[in-house]
Amino acid sequence: MSGKEFFVSRYEKLGWKYENVKPKQAIRINMTNAEEDDIIKRLKSLGIKLEKISFLENGYWVCHSEFSVGATSEYLLGLYSIQEAAAQIPAPLFTDLKDKTVLDACAAPGGKTVQLADLMQNTGAIIALDVRRQRLTALSNQLERCHVKNTIVYHMDARQASRLKLRFDRILLDVPCSGNFATDKEWFSRRTIKDVEKNAKLQREILAEAAEILKDDGEIVYSTCSLEPEENELNIEWAIENLNLQVEKINCYGEKALTNIFGKQLDISIENCKRIWPGQTQGFFVCKLKKRVDAL
Amino acid sequence: MKQIKDFAKQFGARISLDESLIVRKENRYFFINEKLKKLITRDFFFVGTYLGKTKNGKFFPSFNLLSMIAEKKANKTIVDSKTAWLFICGRDIFKQGIMKVIGSKRKGDYTLILNQHGECLGFGRILHNLDEKRGKAAIENILDVGDFLRREK
Repeated sequence: MSGKEFFVSRYEKLGWKYENVKPKQAIRINMTNAEEDDIIKRLKSLGIKLEKISFLENGYWVCHSEFSVGATSEYLLGLYSIQEAAAQIPAPLFTDLKDKTVLDACAAPGGKTVQLADLMQNTGAIIALDVRRQRLTALSNQLERCHVKNTIVYHMDARQASRLKLRFDRILLDVPCSGNFATDKEWFSRRTIKDVEKNAKLQREILAEAAEILKDDGEIVYSTCSLEPEENELNIEWAIENLNLQVEKINCYGEKALTNIFGKQLDISIENCKRIWPGQTQGFFVCKLKKRVDAL
Repeated sequence: MKQIKDFAKQFGARISLDESLIVRKENRYFFINEKLKKLITRDFFFVGTYLGKTKNGKFFPSFNLLSMIAEKKANKTIVDSKTAWLFICGRDIFKQGIMKVIGSKRKGDYTLILNQHGECLGFGRILHNLDEKRGKAAIENILDVGDFLRREK
C-alpha cells in the first residue's frame, strides 16, 4: 500500500483533488530584534520583493529575490527567519506566553523555538528537546543567530520528557511525521502506509507523555506537516478517548478538520482542528488541546 | 570569568557579568538568568546566551558576546554597506569603506565592526594605524556573522 495512485486516491476519498503545487517561500520577522517597517524597507532596498501573508502576524511571502534570502546580513543578524508559512501557524495559537514555562518537545532545527522565544519576548523559559543529536547543533546555531536567551536545549526523546521532573504551562508538539509531497519531490516513491502507521504510533506516545507533564490549566498545540489522517484527526480522536484531552477552538488559516475518515465517524470537536491541503503553503494539520475539565 | 573579561579588554571594554549566572558545558560558556538557573540540569546541550568557547587555551567569542561588548564603550569601526557585505563574506576592510572609528586606531588593536545601523557584524585586528593613508587592507577580518553560513557547510 504505497505509491502515488494509492495516496492520491486516499486524498480524494477525504475530499481533496490532488494537484501538483509548489509552496511559496516565506520569512518571519523576529520582532524582538527588529522593527517590522525598518526590516521590510531594508530588504526591499536589496531588491527582495515581499508580500504580507494575510493570515500571519509577522509573515511575508518572498515574491522575488535575485539571491538566497538566507545570505543577507539581516538574516545573519537574526532580524528575520526563513520559515514556511504554515509552519508559522502553531506557535501563536498559545494564549499568554509571557513568563511561561514552555516545552518544545521536538525542537530541531529550531524555527518554531525561535518563534516561541520571540512571542515570549525572551521571558519565561523554553525547554527544547530533540532526539537527534546531530540536529542540536543546527538548533543552537539558530538560537545564537536570533539572540534567543530563554531556552535550555536537551538531547532527549520527547517520550521521556517526564525525566525532567517539570510541569509545563504550554507544550508545542510539532511531532516527527511522514511529511507531504509538496515539500518532497520523492515523497510518493519513498512513503508507504506502514511509515504512516509507525509515525502515528510514535506521535501517540509523544502525546501521552505531554499529557502527563502538562499543568492542569496548560495548553498543548499539536501539529504535523502530514496529510495522512492517521497522524492527524485519528490521533486526536485517540487523545480525546485515552488522555482526557479536549480540542479547543482556534482561529487560524485552514479548513475545519475531517470528522469522517474513510467512513469512520469521529468526535465532532475534531472539526475545531485545522487541516491545510497543499497550495500556496505545504500541507499541514494543527490543533490546540487542553485537559478535560471533568477529568481534573 | 577571566577569559571573557580579558577578551573584552582587547577592545578597551569592561564587561561585568554575574559569575553565579555563568555556566560551563565542556569548553563552552553560557550566561543564564535566575529562571533558567532554577530549571537547568547538568546534562543540558545549550542554554541561555552563548558566550563563547575555549580551545587550546584560546577564547573564541560568540556573536552574542560581541553584541554585548558593542553596547559598552569599546573600539568600534563603522563601515559602509558595501564594505559590510564584503566583511561578512570574510574579506578584510580597506580604509575607504570606513565611515567612523570609535576608540583605538592603533595598529595591532582589536575593533568591533559595525554596519550603518549600529549592528555588530564581527571583529577584526587593525593592520596599520588608521590615521595613515595606505592602499592596503586596514583591518583584518577575524570573525564575521557569515560564519553562521560557513558552519552549515
